[in-house]
Amino acid sequence: MNTSSARLPLLILGGALLLALGPLVLPPFYVRVGQLMLYSAGLGVAWAILGGFAGYGSFGHAAFIGVGAFTAGLVENQFPTLAPALLLLLGLAAGAGACAVISALVAYPILRLRGTFFAIAMLGVCHVCAEVNNNVDFFQGSMGINFAPIAPASMDPAVFFYWLYLAASTIVLLIAWAIWRSRFGAGLLSIREDEDTARMLGVPTERYKRQAFVISAVLTGLLGVIYAHALGYITTDSVYRDDTNLSLIVFSLLGGMGTLFGPVIGAFLLVFVTQVILGRLLDFHLFATGLLLVLLVLMAPGGVIGLVRGWRLRRRSEMVPAE
Amino acid sequence: MSAASILRLEGVSKSFRGLRAIAEVSFAIEAGSITSIIGPNGAGKSTLFNLVTGYLAPTAGEISFKDRRITGMATNRIAELGVARAFQIARPFRDLTVFENVRIGALFGKAGVRDVEVTVRRSLQLAAIAHLAEQPANTLTVGQLRHLEVARAIATRADLLLADEPCAGLNPTETAAMIDVLRLIRDSGVTVVLVEHDMPSVMEVSDRVLVLDAGALIADGPPHLVASNPQVIAAYLGTPDPSPLPGHSP
Amino acid sequence: MNLVVQTLVDGLVLGGIYALAAVGFSLIFGVLHVINLSHGILVLIGAYLALVCSQAVGVDPLLTMPIVMAVLFVAGYAYQRLLIQRAVDRSPFGSMLLTFGVALMLQNIMIWVFSPDMKNITPSYAFASFRIAGVTFDAVRVSALAASLVLLSCLALLLKFSPLGRVIRATAQQTLAAQLCGVNVRHVYALTFAVSAAFAGAAGIVIGIILPFSPADESLWTLNAFVVVVLGGVGSPAGALLGGLLLGVVNTLTAQYVGPSFPNVTMFLLLVLLLLVRPNGLLGNAFSASR
Repeated sequence: MNTSSARLPLLILGGALLLALGPLVLPPFYVRVGQLMLYSAGLGVAWAILGGFAGYGSFGHAAFIGVGAFTAGLVENQFPTLAPALLLLLGLAAGAGACAVISALVAYPILRLRGTFFAIAMLGVCHVCAEVNNNVDFFQGSMGINFAPIAPASMDPAVFFYWLYLAASTIVLLIAWAIWRSRFGAGLLSIREDEDTARMLGVPTERYKRQAFVISAVLTGLLGVIYAHALGYITTDSVYRDDTNLSLIVFSLLGGMGTLFGPVIGAFLLVFVTQVILGRLLDFHLFATGLLLVLLVLMAPGGVIGLVRGWRLRRRSEMVPAE
Repeated sequence: MSAASILRLEGVSKSFRGLRAIAEVSFAIEAGSITSIIGPNGAGKSTLFNLVTGYLAPTAGEISFKDRRITGMATNRIAELGVARAFQIARPFRDLTVFENVRIGALFGKAGVRDVEVTVRRSLQLAAIAHLAEQPANTLTVGQLRHLEVARAIATRADLLLADEPCAGLNPTETAAMIDVLRLIRDSGVTVVLVEHDMPSVMEVSDRVLVLDAGALIADGPPHLVASNPQVIAAYLGTPDPSPLPGHSP
Repeated sequence: MNLVVQTLVDGLVLGGIYALAAVGFSLIFGVLHVINLSHGILVLIGAYLALVCSQAVGVDPLLTMPIVMAVLFVAGYAYQRLLIQRAVDRSPFGSMLLTFGVALMLQNIMIWVFSPDMKNITPSYAFASFRIAGVTFDAVRVSALAASLVLLSCLALLLKFSPLGRVIRATAQQTLAAQLCGVNVRHVYALTFAVSAAFAGAAGIVIGIILPFSPADESLWTLNAFVVVVLGGVGSPAGALLGGLLLGVVNTLTAQYVGPSFPNVTMFLLLVLLLLVRPNGLLGNAFSASR
């Protein structure tokens, strides 16, 4: 499948419509798993705009989930009488704005770092945000913050948030696709491949990196706002999570690093495995996740998409006799 | 200075921690020509390219491109004005195909987003690698990679191509092919500046030769005159030692 | 006034230990260009091994150091040779993720074996202290600092003068050239990793006698090592010492004067400030040419 094809959005929308039928047929447990899958896929794609396309893999994107969620909560609680839909919109706008400002500020120093240095410095950013959030009373991080219910009274909240995540993640994927096939996307790709050469060819590397960083942060923040509403009550620990930081990398790695659909495939797979298969083995959770990472790196460094591509290439070379 | 000069260096110097790599170099490059910069190892040739492309900033002096001061400008801004560079050790985007590599050049540089496809095809044609378009860059030979470097550079629609030893390490057939490509590029209206070690190629392709030794410009002129310049010969072969040690014949 | 001096002294003691805990991480990054996210786990393994050994035999924890270092040396060699090298060969993110995976697995195992609770090693002189000019020195802290400095000096001498050190430095600076000279690069990488793991283990013992520790601390020690390396520069014991001391002093000063709940904020602001001024750390890149 050619990912730069102009028909791809139709395919994405078709897939989304199909997934929208999920809650009508699935038992409640699987609706919750589906929620988590869709949320994770959206996060994975948002992460990949910076980490996969431009090669700046962040290890601290949960910072933007936290910043988005807490900003939304603090702002929304100033307007307790607003209609639920408006409340959500207000929260989304506030969360996105805060993420944009913070990421734009952080971008300058942190994008000077490359590779693993960048990744871990982002972990530092996440810890700092969490610490400030937790210790400055104004942000109510340690006390926690409540969100007004926004699901219509006639609807099961689980189903409502399933659809909300689906809509949000579809939009994120469409944005990523638009970037992927644009000049901007080509520039990001060249940055991932060789930043110095990219600059030599006239790619405004610094500006592109900053833009990708802000876009990625804002989309992550938007999903964070929805996540906070789905939880209904958040503390610092429930949004600034290190396991989220890790998962975002693993999604891309599992699905296929630097591809458009890799993080979606990776998120679906990982959530399914951890929730459905390992769900009852809490004591083994760290061990199983660790083992999965190790096996992944050693056996399938190109992720699922890499495996499929390799398999296809091998098949093609078997079918065509050697010249 | 002639009005047709596209690149001009005036009193350009570059020091690294007090060590002078380039010492007050001044010259102007005429538009539509092929100029070679030669000199012994460590003469400062690559440093000169790094200065022109903005990879390094000069310690002193001015560099202008098309009568516009580019001293200390960011590398990508200089590329947008129309300066492109092909590296000696090819730096392709390894995970991309040849076509995709050149497409990055065509999307950026001076090129903008118009007629990208056409520009890529034309650049591949000009660099004689149209048949390799769909190959992944990491499967190319050293010679093919050099052509890819050149194709990607000219796809930016640059007016000035800086080529860093395009013939180094190529066999005679490949060298001849590369020289043909450089000529075609010049004929298409692009000014070419080479850094080159391979003297036969330099003699054959250049309209003009600049000789750099220990960071200073020591000769400048048409190839055959430069080649017979005693100063140049001394720089390459070393100054005859006035008091040779016994037992060591020069 | 006394408080300032006391805080500074505490910071320097802590900093010496940070330096020791980070030096192996720094070495691996400088020579192998691998970010070892399981470094903190190696430190903790050292602490737990010392705990087990000193309880079993009843000797001073610092005396278990040769055994602990030897065990980690061997384990480190095998770990690099069997797992990390393969990950490095496969993908650029590979080594980082693999070491993270290993860290998670080992952390889980530690929780099974030692429980998730805080532990500490108590040497016989745990509560001894003396005062000089109004500043209190705990015997444990002084011996911890002394052990750190001695070990760091040993490593610096090892790198500078021993044949192994020469080969390690040569490999770091010019991998290809070293290879052409007949150096078995993979063997050197594994030895470097072994040395690094041994020093992480030693750091674990020293940490164990002055601070309580638990399996969940591993990420803290990895992150600290990272900060120390960024502050001081990659690959040299001197850089690690400088970065470690700086971090230690900043941490204690922050805890004393800003509030104990903000260790990361000042640490990170310091980091950002330094990156803006000196992207290669205070002492620059000791080994590898900067990219």
